[in-house]
Amino acid sequence: MNNTPLVQLENVSRIYQQGKLQVAAVTDFSLEVQCGEFSVLCGPSGSGKTTILNLIGALDEPSQGRVLLEGRDLAQLGRSDLARLRRDRIGFVFQSYNLNPVLTACENAEFVLALQNIPHAQRRQRVMAVLAEVGMAELAERRPDELSGGQQQRVAIARAIVSRPAIVLADEPTANVDSATAAAILELMERLNHEQGVTFLFSTHDQRVMDRAHRLIHLRDGRLERDEVRG
Amino acid sequence: MQIVFFALRNFNRARTRTWITVGAMAFACAIMIFYASLLEGWLAGMEKNAVGMDLGEFQIHGRGYRADPDLYKIITEEGGVLAQLDRQGFVAAPRLHASGLAAAGNASSGIELRGVDLVREGLVTALNQHVWQGQWLAENDQAGVVVGRKLARILGLAVGDEVVVVAQAADGSTANELFRVRGILKSVSEGVDRSGFLMTAATFRRLMIVPQGVQQIVVKRQVPSENLDQATSRLSRLLPNYEVRNWRQLQPVLARLFEMSDISLVIMLLITYAAVGILTLNALLMSVFERIPEFGVMKALGFSPWGLFAMIVVESMLQVTVAVVLAVAVGLPLSFYFSHHPIDFSGFVQSSSTIAGIAFDPKWYCVVTVNSVVLPILFLYLVAGLAILYPALKAAMLKPLAAIYHR
Repeated sequence: MNNTPLVQLENVSRIYQQGKLQVAAVTDFSLEVQCGEFSVLCGPSGSGKTTILNLIGALDEPSQGRVLLEGRDLAQLGRSDLARLRRDRIGFVFQSYNLNPVLTACENAEFVLALQNIPHAQRRQRVMAVLAEVGMAELAERRPDELSGGQQQRVAIARAIVSRPAIVLADEPTANVDSATAAAILELMERLNHEQGVTFLFSTHDQRVMDRAHRLIHLRDGRLERDEVRG
Repeated sequence: MQIVFFALRNFNRARTRTWITVGAMAFACAIMIFYASLLEGWLAGMEKNAVGMDLGEFQIHGRGYRADPDLYKIITEEGGVLAQLDRQGFVAAPRLHASGLAAAGNASSGIELRGVDLVREGLVTALNQHVWQGQWLAENDQAGVVVGRKLARILGLAVGDEVVVVAQAADGSTANELFRVRGILKSVSEGVDRSGFLMTAATFRRLMIVPQGVQQIVVKRQVPSENLDQATSRLSRLLPNYEVRNWRQLQPVLARLFEMSDISLVIMLLITYAAVGILTLNALLMSVFERIPEFGVMKALGFSPWGLFAMIVVESMLQVTVAVVLAVAVGLPLSFYFSHHPIDFSGFVQSSSTIAGIAFDPKWYCVVTVNSVVLPILFLYLVAGLAILYPALKAAMLKPLAAIYHR
C-alpha cells in the first residue's frame, strides 16, 4: 500500500507584495492530508485558508517551502503539466460558484471531462449520474442565470467531482447560500466522502461545516494554531 | 473539437458587440470584393483597348523596323508567314504603315496611314466594332477612310467630309489623293486617336505604290490561356528572321501599370483593413478583458494555456468566417450586377482620356475573378489573425489565481 500522503506542505510561506509592503499570508506552514479525509481549514478572515487551498490547488506558488501532491513537487512542473494536474487530480469548488455563463448546467459539469477528451456519450452518462447525485438532473439544461445560488453551487460540486479527482478543494462552499441549502450541500459532500471516498479539504469559518469535519486545521495569522482530529 | 464547441458558445455572447465587429468586417470585405472586381474590370477594359483594339497580343516586324520605322523594311513573304502562323494555331492579320499629311479646309495634321486587311483584322482585333460615328471600312468603298477621334477634331472632319492625303510613296513619287471620311473611331489609344488614318490594304498599296509585303503582322493566340512568354518564344522560334514582340514588350509602361495594380489593390486592402483591424482588436480586447476571471476559472479547472489561446483564435476566426460569408453574399451579387450594368463616368471623364497612351472606357464594368474575391478574404483573415494575437497571448499567459480575482 502506498503511504505517501495525498498532500504535503513543507514549511510553506507565501508572501505577497502590496506596493512597498510585504504581507505574509502564510508563514512556515506544514501539513499532510491523507486520502479519504474530510478536513477543514478554519480560522478568521485573513488567517491564510484560501491561500493554502490555492497553493495545494497549484493556482499559486509558495515563496518558500514545497507543496507536493501525490508525492510530486508542484514547483517542478511547467504550466501545461500544472494544467493537466488540475484537470485530472484536483476538483475545485469556488465560493462564488464560477460557472461558465454560456454553458448549461450539464455542460458546466462536463467541462473537465470534455478537457479530458472523454467521448460525448460516456461523458453525458457520467455527468447525468453525478447531477442526479447532487439533485440537479432535472435542471441539467438550464444556464447558470436560470439557477439559484444553491443550485449553482450543486452544479459546481458536480463539476468538481465528476472527473473523480484525488482531492476536492472547496473554498467557503456555503458562504453564499442559505442555511437549508448549506446543510444540503454539506450532506451531499459528506455522502460523497463516505460512499465514494472522495477527499475533501474545505476552507471555512462556518460553524456548520466545522461541525461535520473529521479534522479541523485551525489557522491564525497564516500559521498553524491547532490540528484537531475528531473521531 | 472542444475548443470549437466553446468558441461557438461564446460567439453569440455579447451579441451587439459581436455583430458590430462582424458587420464592420463584412462591410469592409464586401467593399473590397467590389473594389477588386471593379479594378479587375478597369484593367480588363484597358487591356482590351490596348491589345484587342490596336496592339494585338503579338506584333511581327521586319528586322530594324521598330527602331526605325521605314516603308521599305517590310515582311516580304507575308503570305508564307501568315500560312505558318495559321498552321501553328495563331490568328494573324497583316498591316501596312506609312506616314503622311492630311488636310481638310485650312487645317492639316500629320497622320499614320494604315492599310488594313478587312477579313483578317476582324479576327485579331475588334477595331471594326469600335466605330463611334459612321461605318467601318468596306472593300467596295476604296475612297472611304476611317480616322481617329482627335484627328477628326483637329481637322474638323465629320462623316462624309473630304480629306486630302499627301505622302511620299515607295517609288519616291508624291502620293496625293482625296478621300472621304467613312467613319470616326471611338477612343483607342493616343496614337490612333491623334493620327490614325485607316484604309483598306488595297487602297494603301495603290496610294503608296507598295505592290507586295507588309510592315507589320498582328497576332493573337487561339488559346488565350497559353502563357504569353511561352507563346512569344514559340513565335520567335517559328519566325527567326523577324522581330517578334508581345504586347507587354511593346507597351512596357502599360505592363508595369498592370503589375502595379496588384500592389495598389494590396495597399487599398491594407488601408481599409487597418481600420477594421483596430475595431476588431478593440472588440477582441474588450471580449478578452471582461472574461479574465472566467479564463482564470477555466485554467483552474485544467484548460491549458495554448488551449485557451486556440479557443480565442478560433472564436475570432469564427467571427471572420461569418463576416466572410456575409461579405460574399453581398459583395459578389453587387459585383455581378455591375458586371452587366456598368458605372458610367462619361459625365466626369473626357471621352478620349488615356492612361499610358491607352484609352480607357468611361463605363466601368466589374470583372469577378478568383483574385478579386479570394484576396480580400485572405487579407481579412490575416488582419484579424494579427489583431487577435495580442489578446489571445495575454489570455494564454494569465496566471489562474490572478485571473480569477481580476477586477
